[in-house]
Amino acid sequence: MTAQAARVARLALTDFRCFTNVEVELGEGLTVLRGPNGQGKTSLLEGLAWPARARSIRGVPDAALVRAGADAAVVRCEIREGTRTQSFAAEIHATGRNRLQLNGNAITRHRDLFGVLRVTVFTPDDLELVKAGPALRREYLDELLEMLAPRYVAATSDFDRVLRQRNALLKSAAREGLDTTTLAVFDEQLVSAGGEVVRGRLQLLTRLVEPARDAMRALGEGDDIAFAYVAEWGGGELVLDDLDSVEDRLREGLETLRRRELERQMTLVGPHRDELRMRLSGLEARTQASQGEQRSLALALRLAGHSVVTELTDSAPVLLLDDVFSELDARRSAVLVGLLPSGQTLLTTATAVPSGVQPACELLVQDAKVGVA
Amino acid sequence: MGVYEGPVQVLIDELGRLPGVGPKSAQRIAFHLLKLPTEDARRLADSIIDAKARVSWCTRCFNIAEGDLCSYCRDERRDGAVVCVVEEPRDIVAVERTAEFRGRYHVLQGAISPIEGIGPEHLRVRELLVRIGAESVEEVILATNPNIEGEATAMYLANLIKPLGLKVTRIASGLPVGGDLEYADEVTLGRALEGRREV
Ligand SMILES: [Zn+2]
Repeated sequence: MTAQAARVARLALTDFRCFTNVEVELGEGLTVLRGPNGQGKTSLLEGLAWPARARSIRGVPDAALVRAGADAAVVRCEIREGTRTQSFAAEIHATGRNRLQLNGNAITRHRDLFGVLRVTVFTPDDLELVKAGPALRREYLDELLEMLAPRYVAATSDFDRVLRQRNALLKSAAREGLDTTTLAVFDEQLVSAGGEVVRGRLQLLTRLVEPARDAMRALGEGDDIAFAYVAEWGGGELVLDDLDSVEDRLREGLETLRRRELERQMTLVGPHRDELRMRLSGLEARTQASQGEQRSLALALRLAGHSVVTELTDSAPVLLLDDVFSELDARRSAVLVGLLPSGQTLLTTATAVPSGVQPACELLVQDAKVGVA
Repeated sequence: MGVYEGPVQVLIDELGRLPGVGPKSAQRIAFHLLKLPTEDARRLADSIIDAKARVSWCTRCFNIAEGDLCSYCRDERRDGAVVCVVEEPRDIVAVERTAEFRGRYHVLQGAISPIEGIGPEHLRVRELLVRIGAESVEEVILATNPNIEGEATAMYLANLIKPLGLKVTRIASGLPVGGDLEYADEVTLGRALEGRREV
């Protein structure tokens, strides 16, 4: 692979989670962060990944990141890609607006951070990607889309906003009567923002199948996997051939479900209702696969996402493996180690690393301090 | 909260009601004000009361005005056939900085936002329609913010005004989506004004 790989060369956290002040230099290959649980390993990954999404990779609100008693958490890092070095700084406030800076210039929009840093995160909770309800799988797709093009960053956040406005309008219709002219306007916005998200997901899903199959095969599982994108408002499964008709289907769905939407006072049409259905050898992965197969499929989804992003952006994301080996058996651990793409990788563990892992550097994270192991 | 003595807490609460001021900033500003010399604090208080007493809404375009009409509505050299619709008075300043526009304005005093309970009936929409009927307006430029609420408001107005046979244009091209008009730089906004599209 000829792709570049961005890496975080230096990271400084102030009043971030348990850290008062910590600064680390990070190398290119594999860095192992070792230390007892609950003493800062995951928080360090969380801080490192913050610039990638301008939010926590653990899905918590910013307020949870600010050390108790402090006004704001500060993340500063230096990101190197090829010969280029960019400096990023964020002041994260528990309440109010965050202040972000890239190369010394203030930035006001999340989109201006596009491409500065991309991360692929593996956590023990990834099993939920396969086992839990559809929300996590939608999030999986959208997070990948947001790494692929700035317009998807805009589309997902626009859709979110349209949805909240439209739901508020449907609620107020129950109290004050329906303002059809205003609803028509938000319908049209839902169609254009929602259409872009659905079309992006359909194209992405098509690209994910092959690398996911490869990973399953390598993990010693059956490679007979199938993904289906199911949109109830659109009459069931949507496929790549439906790309051009997504907007029309959304419009039809809005018409068909109007009465139900008004009754339930919520938006029932759009990508927020969709499901990524996965089958293994013809069986529903969510309910009918073994726990072992489900773990493998979760790993395969992460690896496939990483490979698609690397290919399309020509730049490998930084790999973050948070305590993943604790939940994997020896065989799957060994395979995962073998499958890990090159590029900067950070791995946290409370115990020993599996055989075959050759860290370039080991750091000890303990009592909210980081030292050389 | 209510952790401070009477008047201090009242001041913090009042400041906390201002847009963009969270509880922590409200506290910080309050203690800053308390440290000021009395005459400085009085000057601030007087300027608020004075502005409130002397400034009102322009009866034609709902910009801020001293007197009946704002300075743009009083200016005879401005072209009354073209009306630029903006959300807030501060957006007029942004458009004026481009030195591209010689028409008149109409300030909606907000944008459609069901989350905040703001519907078209809470904006100066009816007044805009009255103006279109009474003044010889030929073109309406929709210069609401390029975010969801601003776009929704522009679409709503376009649906309303186009059937009246007027030229309706929207400035959007080149403007950062999701941004505020206020923050668009003069060059981008100027180009956007030039390249406005009919909707
Ligand atoms: Zn006026």
